Amino acid sequence: MLGSIARSFSVMLVAVVINFALPRLAPGSAIDYLLPPENAAALNSEERLMVLRQFGLEKSVPQQFVHYLGRLAHGDLLVSVRYGRPVRSLLAERLPWTLLLVGLALAVALVAGTLLGFGAAWKRGSPRDFASLIIVVLLDSLPVFFVAMMLLFAFSVKLRWFPFFGAMNFADKPTGVSAVIDVARRVVLPASTLVAAQVGSVYLSARSAMVSELREDYVSFAVAKGLPLRTVRSHARRNALLPVVTIGFVSLGTLVGGATVVETVFSYPGIGRLVYDSMLARDYPVIQGVFFVLAITVIAANLIAELLTPWVDRRAMSQDRS
Amino acid sequence: MSFFSVRSGEDNAQRASRRSNVARLVIGVLSIGVMALASSSLHQPASAQTKTVDSLTIALPGYENNLTPFTVSFLALPNTHDLLTLVYDTLFWSQNDKSPEPWLAESAVPSADRKEWTVKLRPGMKWHDGKPLTAEDIKFSFDYYKQFPGASGRYAHHAADTPPFDKAEVLDPLTVRLSFKEPAPTFPSLPGGDLPMIPKHIWEKVTEPAKYTALPVGSGPYKMVEAITDQGYKLEANADYFKGKVLVKKLNLVVVREYSVAFSALRTGDVDHVARNVPAELVETIANSKGLKTTKGTRNESVQLLFNARKPPFDDARVRKAISMAINNKLIVDNVLLGRGRPGNDNFLHPDSPWTLPNQTHEYDLNKSRKLLDDAGFELRGDGRSNAKGLKADFDLLVSSFEPQQQRAAQLISSQLKAVGIKVNVEPIDPATLRQKRAVVPGKIPDYDAYMSILESHAHVDPDGLYYFFHSPGTRGFGAGVTGYSNPKFDAISEKAVAEVDPVKREQQLFDLQRILISEMPLIALYYPEGLYAVSGAYDGWYSDPGHGIFTKRSFVEGENKAPAPTASVTASTQPTTTVAPATTAAPTSTKAPVSKPGARPKTIARKLKPAKAKTK
Repeated sequence: MLGSIARSFSVMLVAVVINFALPRLAPGSAIDYLLPPENAAALNSEERLMVLRQFGLEKSVPQQFVHYLGRLAHGDLLVSVRYGRPVRSLLAERLPWTLLLVGLALAVALVAGTLLGFGAAWKRGSPRDFASLIIVVLLDSLPVFFVAMMLLFAFSVKLRWFPFFGAMNFADKPTGVSAVIDVARRVVLPASTLVAAQVGSVYLSARSAMVSELREDYVSFAVAKGLPLRTVRSHARRNALLPVVTIGFVSLGTLVGGATVVETVFSYPGIGRLVYDSMLARDYPVIQGVFFVLAITVIAANLIAELLTPWVDRRAMSQDRS
Repeated sequence: MSFFSVRSGEDNAQRASRRSNVARLVIGVLSIGVMALASSSLHQPASAQTKTVDSLTIALPGYENNLTPFTVSFLALPNTHDLLTLVYDTLFWSQNDKSPEPWLAESAVPSADRKEWTVKLRPGMKWHDGKPLTAEDIKFSFDYYKQFPGASGRYAHHAADTPPFDKAEVLDPLTVRLSFKEPAPTFPSLPGGDLPMIPKHIWEKVTEPAKYTALPVGSGPYKMVEAITDQGYKLEANADYFKGKVLVKKLNLVVVREYSVAFSALRTGDVDHVARNVPAELVETIANSKGLKTTKGTRNESVQLLFNARKPPFDDARVRKAISMAINNKLIVDNVLLGRGRPGNDNFLHPDSPWTLPNQTHEYDLNKSRKLLDDAGFELRGDGRSNAKGLKADFDLLVSSFEPQQQRAAQLISSQLKAVGIKVNVEPIDPATLRQKRAVVPGKIPDYDAYMSILESHAHVDPDGLYYFFHSPGTRGFGAGVTGYSNPKFDAISEKAVAEVDPVKREQQLFDLQRILISEMPLIALYYPEGLYAVSGAYDGWYSDPGHGIFTKRSFVEGENKAPAPTASVTASTQPTTTVAPATTAAPTSTKAPVSKPGARPKTIARKLKPAKAKTK
């Protein structure tokens, strides 16, 4: 266990280096954003320095890296070039919305996908299995923006059940219970879109895990022994859950980035769009900060998944000890 | 697993960007269906048309950061300046007029050499926090812009060097004398009509203007009460506004990124206006929607192809002119804008600019084009045109990947130029890469061949704009990052023009400059998009301000949105030598047309496709 934590920590260090290096390797630069070619030509070097100094961009890249590491050690993620605001406050503003949206979507997708997948596996080859397979795969292959637009059209334009945009009523900020209801209403459509995008992969892995589990000798033996089907399934279920858990945790990282389109269509103030806009402006501090948080999330998720595995699957524990 | 986290993040961002481009296309197509089917759930227009309105919700296509001159990003909106000037005021309004209306200023009287302007302010004006607005603030504003020339690229250069501001002197609490190192004959329009004035008591403490995060304090018709990053702004009417009663008490400016979503919300009554052009594919649907009104307007924008005039073969004016002559831009307007715009003119300046050479057009002549190319030594050899040294006339055309309209125009240009034997490789790239390709390393020539850009009205109405765009690269002007064009004759005339005292002479010099542009074509104006704006029936005070569209301060201030613009010259001075707008100049261009009423919607609804996002100036 200590070994996995140490490993995770070193992975994080590598991630910090890469987070710093990658945006700087891409063509374009935050300097060109601050000083577009039109304006740059008319400024002398001192005037240029004055602009760049505000964000520490006048320093050499190694100096910037040392500065970044130093600030990071203090929990400071520097100041966004595009927004002129501390990255930490930007993240603090966005992260709760992303966690709400993505967390909700992931939870629903995991539960629904697993139930559907197991159900289909138990009735493998039946019309029910066939129908759910087709529907889920179809849903999974629909482009996210298409699903988003269709939901918006059906539920916001036609039925008028849900608002068009935002995570909270902007004009009249609700309070108390009505705020909870408002936030809940506004998360339904974007979360549903994400569920539609995610449920397929959960379903497929749950189904195939269960199908291969049902082929195991112990299952055949249990059936031959005459154990009730319910008991057989409960044994198989636990073992088949393992890949689903892994998928769930691994998706956590990808869903945050993958929510960009959903956030754009529904004007939802999440992390995805922040990353997207920051990439366009080559806003190094934001890119570094967001990917740092993402890296931590994914590493932590993987660590938890790793630590949970023996609990879900006893075989993993015995292998670990051998 | 170690690289997984990082890689997946990067991949996702890239995938998301690709997806979102595809998304734009598909959503565009989808939205037609969505809009067409949405008709059943529309609200009815407000029956009683009252003069004041409690609140309006307006959809913005993007967030522009904190709305101060030093933090605003000028990236997300087609009309950032109009958004900013809801909160801030300028000395005059607007820069699109040769003789703008006095705003913060009551009058401005120049010295005989036009190097000094004595500005008299209106009495009794206040900042949003209640502090009086005095001559000290005006002096401070100019000093501050000059002190931080790079902090606000869009604004500061007007204090730094167009015209080069020298010093300000406070004569009394309401009078300030501004001195420039060169004559500033158009001071009321520019910088007077452009530079937002900032309060001294706030900004004197700010040493890093780009990091200013407090709410802006201005003097404009609206106070900012809340700004939520990437979600929107809440504005409240300034009850003490010196210019007149503010007719809409609250403006809720919400960020709705997808235009199809924004226009759907307009049709269901969730928003009252979408602060962008009605896209061509939605014009019919909007026109047929009950309760919605549309009005035309223009923001004097242009879309152009710019050459790297320092790189062979584009350093040869004949090659540039030949390429221009092979482009049928009428066809581009018809196909890409669906007719909603005007073809570009060879003199570059927008036909509605006060400085434009009258009666211009674009010369399209394939035979002349071929002959010019032959003359320049680029003869047909093998499958393309090249000169004796083997240099080809083919080129790469860089286009922002976020401007589908420009990409389509570029594709058309590519196919049109085949007729004269020039191959054009259209290269859509992201805006940051485009900026980098154009960035100038001192002593080096940028490597790009040509690129496309959109320019807002400011570039067309600024009389010094021609100097800025086309003067040889040097300490002033845009230089090689824009075209790198160089012509000693042009330099000489433009240097005279920026310092010319006599407005009539100056106009002639600007005309001469445009004549040089016509023969040498450092850039090709492709088209001038035209605006069509849609509003709900909730407010009837919308006003189409020439060069601004309707989402601008005049729409919300009583008197400003109805009465025709005062045609009086800027100063009421009795000395003919010091009046700003001499009688000899052309008639004022600002004929104010009120927004059409719901019943009287113009028959030809639209002229334009999609507004611009990125601006080059």
